[in-house]
Amino acid sequence: MMAGEQASGASSQIHSNEEDKAFDMTTSERVVDLLNQAALISTEEKLIVLKQVQELVINKDPSLLDNFLDEIIAFQTDKSIEVRKFVIGFIEEACKRDNELLLRLIANLNMLMRDESVNVVKKAILTLTQLYKVALQWLVRTKSVTDMQEACWDMVTQMKGDVLALLDSDNDGVRTHAIKFTESLIITLSPRTPDSDTPKKQEGDISLDKIPKDHTYIRYDTLCEEGKTALDQLLKFMVHPAISSINLTTALGSLATLARQRPMFMSEVVQAYEMLHANLPPTLAKSQVSSVRKNLKLHLVAVLKHPSSVDFHVQISTLLQDLGMSPSEITRCTPVAVQPRKRLHHEPYVEGKRIKMEAVEDDEDKEEPAPVVTPKPSSSIGTQSAIDLTAEFLLPLLTSDNVANLVLISMVYLPEVMPASFQATYTPVESAGTDAQIKHLARLMATQMTAAGLGPGLEQCKARDEEVKEEGAAGESSSKDPLIIRKLSAVSLGQAISVVGASAAYKSPIIEEAPQIKKLPEPILPSTQLKAPGASGRKKVFKLADVVQPFSEVQIEKLANMAIKRILYSEKAIAQTGMSHVRVKLLARLVTQFEGTKKNDLLQFVLEDMRSRSELAFSLLYHEYNEYLSQEPSGCLDSYEHCLFTLLSGLQERPEQRDGLFTKIVLEAPIITDSALEVIQRYCEDESRVYLGMSTLKELIFKRPSRQYQYLNVLLNLTSHEKEKVRSTALSFIKRMYEKEHLKDCIEKFALTYMQFLVHPNPPSLLFGAGEDTEVAAPWTEETVRQCLYLYLSLLPLNHRLVHELAAVYTEAIADIKRSVLRVIEQPIRGMGMNSPDLLLLVENCPKGAETLVTRCLHILTDKVPPSPELVERVRDLYHKRVPDVRFLIPVINGLEKNEVIQALPKLIKLNPIVVKEVFNRLLGTQHSEGSSSMSPLTPGELLIALHNIDSSKCDMKSIIKATNLCFGEKNVYTSEVLAVVMQQLMEQTPLPILLMRTVIQSLTMYPRLAGFVMNILARLILKQVWKYPKVWEGFVKCCQRTKPQSYNVLLQLPPPQLASVFERCPEMREPLLQHVHSFTPHQQAHIPTSIMTVLEATNRKPEPEPQPEIQHPEVMEEREVPLPKHISVHAPVQQAEPPAPKPIVFTEPMPPQEKHHHHHQVPSRREVAEVAEPMEQEETAHVPEEDTSEAPPQQMDVSEEAPQSSPVAEKADESMDESTAGPADEAEEPVEEPEEEHAETGESSAD
Amino acid sequence: MPPHPLRVAVVCSSNQNRSMEAHNILSKRGFDVRSFGTGTHVKLPGPAPDKPNIYDFKTTYEQMYNDLVRKDKELYTQNGILHMLDRNKRIKSRPERFQSCRDQFDLVITCEERVYDQVLEDLNSREQESFQPVHVINVDIQDNHEEATLGAFLICELCQCIQHTDDMENEMDELLQEFEEKSHRPFLHSVCFY
Repeated sequence: MMAGEQASGASSQIHSNEEDKAFDMTTSERVVDLLNQAALISTEEKLIVLKQVQELVINKDPSLLDNFLDEIIAFQTDKSIEVRKFVIGFIEEACKRDNELLLRLIANLNMLMRDESVNVVKKAILTLTQLYKVALQWLVRTKSVTDMQEACWDMVTQMKGDVLALLDSDNDGVRTHAIKFTESLIITLSPRTPDSDTPKKQEGDISLDKIPKDHTYIRYDTLCEEGKTALDQLLKFMVHPAISSINLTTALGSLATLARQRPMFMSEVVQAYEMLHANLPPTLAKSQVSSVRKNLKLHLVAVLKHPSSVDFHVQISTLLQDLGMSPSEITRCTPVAVQPRKRLHHEPYVEGKRIKMEAVEDDEDKEEPAPVVTPKPSSSIGTQSAIDLTAEFLLPLLTSDNVANLVLISMVYLPEVMPASFQATYTPVESAGTDAQIKHLARLMATQMTAAGLGPGLEQCKARDEEVKEEGAAGESSSKDPLIIRKLSAVSLGQAISVVGASAAYKSPIIEEAPQIKKLPEPILPSTQLKAPGASGRKKVFKLADVVQPFSEVQIEKLANMAIKRILYSEKAIAQTGMSHVRVKLLARLVTQFEGTKKNDLLQFVLEDMRSRSELAFSLLYHEYNEYLSQEPSGCLDSYEHCLFTLLSGLQERPEQRDGLFTKIVLEAPIITDSALEVIQRYCEDESRVYLGMSTLKELIFKRPSRQYQYLNVLLNLTSHEKEKVRSTALSFIKRMYEKEHLKDCIEKFALTYMQFLVHPNPPSLLFGAGEDTEVAAPWTEETVRQCLYLYLSLLPLNHRLVHELAAVYTEAIADIKRSVLRVIEQPIRGMGMNSPDLLLLVENCPKGAETLVTRCLHILTDKVPPSPELVERVRDLYHKRVPDVRFLIPVINGLEKNEVIQALPKLIKLNPIVVKEVFNRLLGTQHSEGSSSMSPLTPGELLIALHNIDSSKCDMKSIIKATNLCFGEKNVYTSEVLAVVMQQLMEQTPLPILLMRTVIQSLTMYPRLAGFVMNILARLILKQVWKYPKVWEGFVKCCQRTKPQSYNVLLQLPPPQLASVFERCPEMREPLLQHVHSFTPHQQAHIPTSIMTVLEATNRKPEPEPQPEIQHPEVMEEREVPLPKHISVHAPVQQAEPPAPKPIVFTEPMPPQEKHHHHHQVPSRREVAEVAEPMEQEETAHVPEEDTSEAPPQQMDVSEEAPQSSPVAEKADESMDESTAGPADEAEEPVEEPEEEHAETGESSAD
Repeated sequence: MPPHPLRVAVVCSSNQNRSMEAHNILSKRGFDVRSFGTGTHVKLPGPAPDKPNIYDFKTTYEQMYNDLVRKDKELYTQNGILHMLDRNKRIKSRPERFQSCRDQFDLVITCEERVYDQVLEDLNSREQESFQPVHVINVDIQDNHEEATLGAFLICELCQCIQHTDDMENEMDELLQEFEEKSHRPFLHSVCFY
């Protein structure tokens, strides 16, 4: 689909990309949406939804697979069997799609393989059947195997073993699946050969021949060995006397598949068929016998059709004839191509044997490059010929006499009723006494004898095997089969006789080995008959008292113990007979009736292997409970409790099992006692099992309503647990339960109770674990405060109403707790969002004492996003009507109107410098990463202007100056352009703001290229009669002093009295200015009014006041402390000798006409300057880009140097101004700043 | 009880009488049921035992019905064939052949031993893939209307019992034994794999 879209959108690439993105979003979003749905709906719908998810992430967009893996796998704990089965199917598909996922998913499959539902287990086996091949292929493909892959393969191998072990499962269906798994495993772990009859769809499957012998991790010979073992297990399984008909059917089919796909096993398969046919399990009912025979026939025909069966046609034909097939039918089923060979079969048969012998040697010789030659365990040939040999041996012995004797002897063992299997297989002997029939009989007997481990053929073969073993270098595998047959001999022996119906006779001598046969149709014969039939006639008078004596108490106890132990340890033997349930019941009954150690012994026994003995555990538990019930009302639960407690704590102390047994016991126990609940709590506190433990607890809460609150309390207590994982899991469980109406109140009450601890002076001992009863006088710590709040805070986003309780507690709590509370509420408050009605209500009401809490909430809410109008409205109301604390306004400042901000400014800038800084950050948009600067109600320029216009009665000058300094600190915001506009506007105001010149000087310090513009400002200030504003005038003079020589022309525009006043303040200016005028051309000089010249040349005048020395000294000292690059006033003491100018006539309108003529000269005119002001500004702006490039490096240097201490630089400029003003005229109302304070402030702000 | 409804297939030779009767009853009882025949052709009784009406599996019940009406309406009304076809066409449009169906079932019930053999042969000749088991049970039913009805009830009862087991595979054996005793007929039972 993606490709299609791209193709269609090829004309516009951007367009198509966008579409793709949108497409991706939707798929992923759809998956999220579906998964969310799946969590809430019924099982049937859930399956549909999950299947859609699977389709989306596996087929439609596999890139999402990784993303959603965990979410989908999480359904493995779903209550529904079908959902769990779905998860297994999903694991299969996912791993097939992306083999790497095996690393992550194999363990899940392993877990599901231990599911309590057999249907899930079966599905898991089917999936493992597929994934085993996938995993093997994947590893073989991988050149260097990682540790993870090794572990993964090890797990697969272990699971393989587990499934093979399931051949012994109690469940018929599970066994059936295990058989099919074994079949597939054998095929995979054996080499494909040219004569293999491989299904088309499995052509690509891995098999042993494709596994390199030099692989780093996968061992060829180990796998080969495993394959052989699996085959052995399957064969062994087949001869189990109590095998069910379906298992048998399955196994027959598997053998046929094996024979066709792996003809190397033909011999074993045919032999197994022969054995089976001769020894059909006695447990089969009549119709089952026919079903099995039908199957056997079907599979034999299938095998017969395979060309490699040619060597076994005699055996197969005999079997088919016995199964009722006519020779002509058999011939029809025989492949035509091989028929001619049939007559010569004896010759090639022997030859074939030789070839096989060689093949065995080849196989053992592990240097062999490719296993093209089929390896065959030599043993099979051994047995094969053992039957032949024994048959040959028997043939001459089957004389009429002997046969008649045999019949007579076996008559004794005949059962009263004809067994079904016999009835079904019996066909009247048509050709009795013919050679062919005698041969057949000999062969039948030989098969039985060989199976029973008797007969000369077997002995000969054994001897030969030994020789082979000695010859072969590594003969480990060669004699496996006979070994197995010997092991089975006892079983087979029992079976062998069962053909004639007396199987039970063999039961007693071999009770340890031979599994009992289910539904035995015949009566049991006493064992003595078998051992010594001859002695049966002797009889004597028998008295019981003669031979027995009563046991002592100790002996009885001992015997009883031993008896129970025997029942206990006969687990396996009884399991094979299918009578486990009787054993379990027996044990439980016995043990509950006895006091003492037996109970503990049994419990210990159960705990040793809880998984397979769970049934016993349950049985015991129920019996104990029954015992208790039967003694009602006086009954005591001690014994039951002990049992439950031992089981649970046994499980709890064991390492992780993942079998869900703990849960199962908890959920199925009739009563959960207090001690059991404690174990459950301990289980929950174990970090590795916390999830399982709490799921169990949750189940209890939901399913045992009678004591639901007690269980809920355990879980609630865990929400303040010291271990983070325990706590967070408990919280997430509680949050889900909080949605349940009937639990809501209880949870809420608990959360509030805990929170209310915070009003106590000390934390309650409860928080330190129930064990410590001592009244803890410890002070509150951050940790204890948090403990009281975890639950509450996680409920808060779910139920906003609770926020009011927090406010109530907060007002009463001590300062330390308040601080902690403020720290922890961030996440939940943010989770609630500024639209929460309850939060808005809290802001509106703002309980007394909770102001900091409310402010903190406001800050949290507006930290990342601009405030909503609603929030602003509430805060405004609060501020205006109830608590006029300007700090409330700060978080929502950007939501206020411009005039509101301006109104609040005086109060705001009086706050703690850190807070002021934050206010400015918000207003200037320097705090948030994006967007919010545009939200500010004030532009940076407007802010600075507003600061200048603050009424000095409302705020002290010092704060205003600090505030403006903050502005100047933001060099990125206050660019030269912004400052120019600010200066321009301030200058046009009447009256002039006090701080105007200070700002001008500071702007100039920051941006020296503003000098030209500043000159214009100065010139225009002359027009505004700047000398009428003492502060501004002072600044004016200072500015001129700094900007000389540019300022000379401005100075010359001053009326003479003001010029004189300038020289009064800065006598050192006079001489250079005079020099400047002297450098004019005579023509130019002529334009200087004489009054000005008089002031300029007033050298002879005596200075009127002489306070300078006293003032000069501090100035000099201070200047040494704070050297400033532009300061030239070092020369001041020298020049200062010159007396200040007198106060001459004031020139209101100095020579406008001359100006016009000479405006091309350097003599500036006020009007011209005014005219030039505009273009200059424009020029300034126009030049910006150019200047930026040329000045870039120094500027950047500046920034980087200033960055860490931007305000100190500004303050130094500031200081210099203050110093100099302090010098000549220190009027009282001057906003002079004490240097110490200045430093203190700096220190504070840098600490920020 | 298994969580999902059993997928059942009922198979007879021509997918007309026995399998359709069972199909009818089972679907009324809410089973997920399909029906099939295993013969190479669909055969219906004709005017004489050696002259059956033979159709291929593509012919719809409707077409057969019309064909027989045309041939001898009275005869086929009288022997119930038309009635049967009428019922069949209301269940599905045409007979289906088991060997050509690739859908998977949990349970296949055959109505005679020959059909059972054919089903087993077919299932065993398929290539195994998923190893998903399918149980095949044979219930011998004579091919006439009365036996078909009785047989269908027996099949239905059997299916209901199987559906109600907790663990079908584990309890099947015992269940079938009980049924054998109760109904006095043997059931062949086997398992195959997809």
